Amino acid sequence: MTSAEEPPVFDDAPLADPAEVRRAMEYYAERGWTDGLPVVPVTESFLAEFLATTDRDPHEVLIPMPHLNKNLTVRLAAINAALAGCLPEYFPVVVAAWDSFLKDGMVTRAIWQSTTGTAGFVVVNGPVRQRIGLNCRGNVWGSGFRANATIGRAIRLGAINGLGLRPHVFDQATQGTPAKYSCCIGENEEDSPWSSLAADNGIGPDDSAVSATVIRSVLHIEARHTTVPEQLAVDFADSLCRTGALVRARASGYVVLNPEHARLLDKAGWTKQDLRQAIVERGFRTYRQLAGAGKEAIAAGTGWRLPADHPDAIEQTLPEDPDSPVQLINSVEAIQIVVAGAPNAGVSSIVETFGPFDRAPAITKVGGAK
Amino acid sequence: MADGIVLERAGIPAVSLCTDAFRITAEAMANQLGFPGYQYVALPHPIASRTEKEIDEIARDALPEVMRVLGAGLTIRPVD
Repeated sequence: MTSAEEPPVFDDAPLADPAEVRRAMEYYAERGWTDGLPVVPVTESFLAEFLATTDRDPHEVLIPMPHLNKNLTVRLAAINAALAGCLPEYFPVVVAAWDSFLKDGMVTRAIWQSTTGTAGFVVVNGPVRQRIGLNCRGNVWGSGFRANATIGRAIRLGAINGLGLRPHVFDQATQGTPAKYSCCIGENEEDSPWSSLAADNGIGPDDSAVSATVIRSVLHIEARHTTVPEQLAVDFADSLCRTGALVRARASGYVVLNPEHARLLDKAGWTKQDLRQAIVERGFRTYRQLAGAGKEAIAAGTGWRLPADHPDAIEQTLPEDPDSPVQLINSVEAIQIVVAGAPNAGVSSIVETFGPFDRAPAITKVGGAK
Repeated sequence: MADGIVLERAGIPAVSLCTDAFRITAEAMANQLGFPGYQYVALPHPIASRTEKEIDEIARDALPEVMRVLGAGLTIRPVD
């Protein structure tokens, strides 16, 4: 006897030999074709269901990686989406995500081999969210939603199996981030007072779109205390400009606003553009603060931050007042705003990216079958 | 490693340098590009946080091995 509340109800499960299921799981694990978690076995007939959801040629290259002698094709992307536990109808979103990563340009510059250890980050807009049950409300960064969990995982498995980026070998991440397992959210367009990220970038209301880039971390912003837009802007700007995140001259990121914060801003007459501008205006550290962390100068060649007395530092004139501001966010394009989460508390987040610093995000449309 | 291999493929003797923390990746890259056993020079890790003097010492210590690898001629036959 089992109660409806108990999760594993084995007696009601479809008949299968558990030993065979485990054997299939172990087969994939032993070959290193997983992210550490069990994967779904993929047969040609199951793969065909994925390929039938798109008009793209299975041999089309989505991500070329010539220096590794690797190409991520549509077929490889589909195999890895199936391994990840996607349903076939999720696959057009996975393809659009890879298109977006190509357009974004960081993945093809081999950023996933870097010690920084970035994860793929995928934002989904439009009607596909409802069709596939992609969560954009409460627990949006958390677990519990198959579409979010497996679309994000399809990207990581595609990197491991399609591009050969295995940890300790070609993935040289020093620590990585938990987001490397999966990081896919929908925008909560229904609870947002503003137009969506996709609409702001020219996508019509009947189309679905994906915006993907690479991220280093997701920071929690606790701001339940205020109804003053400027105070919220301080929290966001301060978090984006933390010295610990600074490797390059400038800072950039997504602000993932919960609907309560978005409505608060809207009620005060602020547009999305107003918030971006307010963050730019507060997007600085003083020279003294940067020097305190040894990040007041820029290296010739790499453009990375380092101390002014480092032999690689580009010569600079010391400011007369060490408390004068050094601008770290120079453009509203460095700040993207997405509304997601439940409208139940003043809790938002910052997603730390590697740009874009001065252009629109890489948005691509979700396609479909012929 | 990839750069060194690309240069040698073009007929230009080259030596790839990396720190010993990246040996596994360096050798995987040589294998991936079809040249297992490609000779390179591993330097002590780390580089980024060393002083200029320490870097000079590392370079001086590595120089004989760098010259040996370079003097060994092309590891890879250039493409005709």
